[in-house]
Amino acid sequence: MNIQTFVQSLVSGALTGSLYAMIGVGLTVVFGVMRIINLAHGEMVMLGMFGAYWGQSLWRLDPFLSLLLWAPLMFGAGMAIHRFLLRRVVPGGELNTLLYTAGLSLLVANVALLVWSGDYRTITLSYGAEPIRPLGIAIAVPLLVAFVLALVITTALWTFLMRTDLGRAIRATSQNAEAAILMGVDVERVAVVTFGLGTALAAAAGVLLAPSLYLYPTVGELLIVKCFVIVVLGGLGSVPGAIAGGVLLGVVESLGAVYVSSTYKDGIGFLLFLGVLLYRPSGIFGVGRS
Amino acid sequence: MRRAAPWVAAIAAALLVPFAGPGSFVLHVLILVLMWTTLGAAWNVLGGLAGQVSFGHAALVGVGAYTTMILYLKLGIAPWWGMLAGGAAAALVSLPIGLLCFRLRGPYFSLATLAVAEIVRLVALNFESLTNGPVGFLITALPPLHLGGWAVNWESKTPFYVAAVLLAAAALVSTDWVKGSRLGAYLVAIREDEDAAEAVGIDTVRVKVITLAHSAFLAGLGGGFYAFYFRYVDPDAVCNIGLSMEMVFIAMVGGLGTVGGPLVGATFLTAVAEVVRGQLGLGHLVFYGLSMMLVIRFMPEGIWGRVHRLLTRPRGAAADVALGG
Repeated sequence: MNIQTFVQSLVSGALTGSLYAMIGVGLTVVFGVMRIINLAHGEMVMLGMFGAYWGQSLWRLDPFLSLLLWAPLMFGAGMAIHRFLLRRVVPGGELNTLLYTAGLSLLVANVALLVWSGDYRTITLSYGAEPIRPLGIAIAVPLLVAFVLALVITTALWTFLMRTDLGRAIRATSQNAEAAILMGVDVERVAVVTFGLGTALAAAAGVLLAPSLYLYPTVGELLIVKCFVIVVLGGLGSVPGAIAGGVLLGVVESLGAVYVSSTYKDGIGFLLFLGVLLYRPSGIFGVGRS
Repeated sequence: MRRAAPWVAAIAAALLVPFAGPGSFVLHVLILVLMWTTLGAAWNVLGGLAGQVSFGHAALVGVGAYTTMILYLKLGIAPWWGMLAGGAAAALVSLPIGLLCFRLRGPYFSLATLAVAEIVRLVALNFESLTNGPVGFLITALPPLHLGGWAVNWESKTPFYVAAVLLAAAALVSTDWVKGSRLGAYLVAIREDEDAAEAVGIDTVRVKVITLAHSAFLAGLGGGFYAFYFRYVDPDAVCNIGLSMEMVFIAMVGGLGTVGGPLVGATFLTAVAEVVRGQLGLGHLVFYGLSMMLVIRFMPEGIWGRVHRLLTRPRGAAADVALGG
């Protein structure tokens, strides 16, 4: 084992992890406010990926630039999904909502399969062919750009949650919905905005991931499972936990692929997941709610 | 058994169907319906009666299907015995899964089962010396079987139909039996309020593990039948999340926790899926997703649950409706 390989896989793991983190944050915010585990979250990422793809192939739009188009659009779509679909189901209980989003996930993935076919597609960037090599470590350019943008978006989200009134309302609802109502928070509005936010984050992560991954309509299935691993690692409902969980999963997968076996790298994540679920259900940092 | 007579009559009637001379396509559709009934009922025992929503039942189906295949292709044990062994193997595998996952509740349990199923799928995909990896197993010829001097013709659909009827009957009758037993009462208590159930002295973990083993046995039988009937098994066919979801949907659309629900759900989904696929050229999963959403939104008790409620509505309530308009 040499140090170069170790650092290399650590770095690429952390970069991929930052994107996992973004997907995880979207899921965890929604869970915090609404107690919904949104099984259709992976499909939102998938839609973002296809958005980037079609933006490039139809309008020659740079995938990273198309973020400015798809993120607001999916924010609106998320609000509409909550307003017209989920809101009527949520009072039916956690499990009904879980199954409802499972139905939504199947519907979206299979409509996409129908319209776009199951072909694997890739996005090639003119500036992505050669990796840059600081200190002898190869870093893929698309992944680096995605990492920087993910950092910007996550920081912006953090500032929004900590500094604005709406952000405070979201955090308050997440901590205790009844108390928030008593303090005059419009919980319905908070829920709609949060679902929009979660959806936009997922789609944005999809746009950023698109140049680095194969895209196909059922990719959401793979991502949602990773996403559960992340939010459970960090503690369901906790934003910093999801960020840490995402980076941790990225690093574990990357190191596991190098040092254990590339075929079982996904399995390592799941074992970690089961271990945390069983022994620390509030997450490794103990900040989530079990 | 509370009501043996109706069951015997229904099973006998179902077994008489091949004598009416249906085409092999009709028998094929009926076999599919009965196979899905078995799988839906397997999920329903745990998810419907005990309220434990598993997203990983495909793992148990996979264990059943692979056991059947491996026993036949590597040891020469005929698939009809393999199916039973598959059920037993799935029940055995379910014990450690249950002991682990039942420490969690609600959505956390669901997520844990999802992870377990993914681990099983990865094992099926990568443990090549046992499972043939992504290539899977193919049965080229079924062994000869003589029943009372008759050689069974494996080219005909009839023997598979008879097997499917027996499996579905086993699944539904055992659901009915559990529902009417003390165990069934424990399960309802756990479903409605687990803390309260524990407080009145029910050993909830033990009850849930037993129910999971029952559910796993049925799922393993269904998986064994899948291998036996389609003669082909690979990780994508029997271990994917989609299969787990289909089992959930059948139980949910038919009616959670009802005895007849899985049969109704399987009939409805299979029939309409055939029509959607044949007439509109759409993938049937689109339809599954949509019907799932519609049922939860407008009919959370499922089709069978709704019909049952309308039929058994107390007289007084009916009179009130009649009087009050």
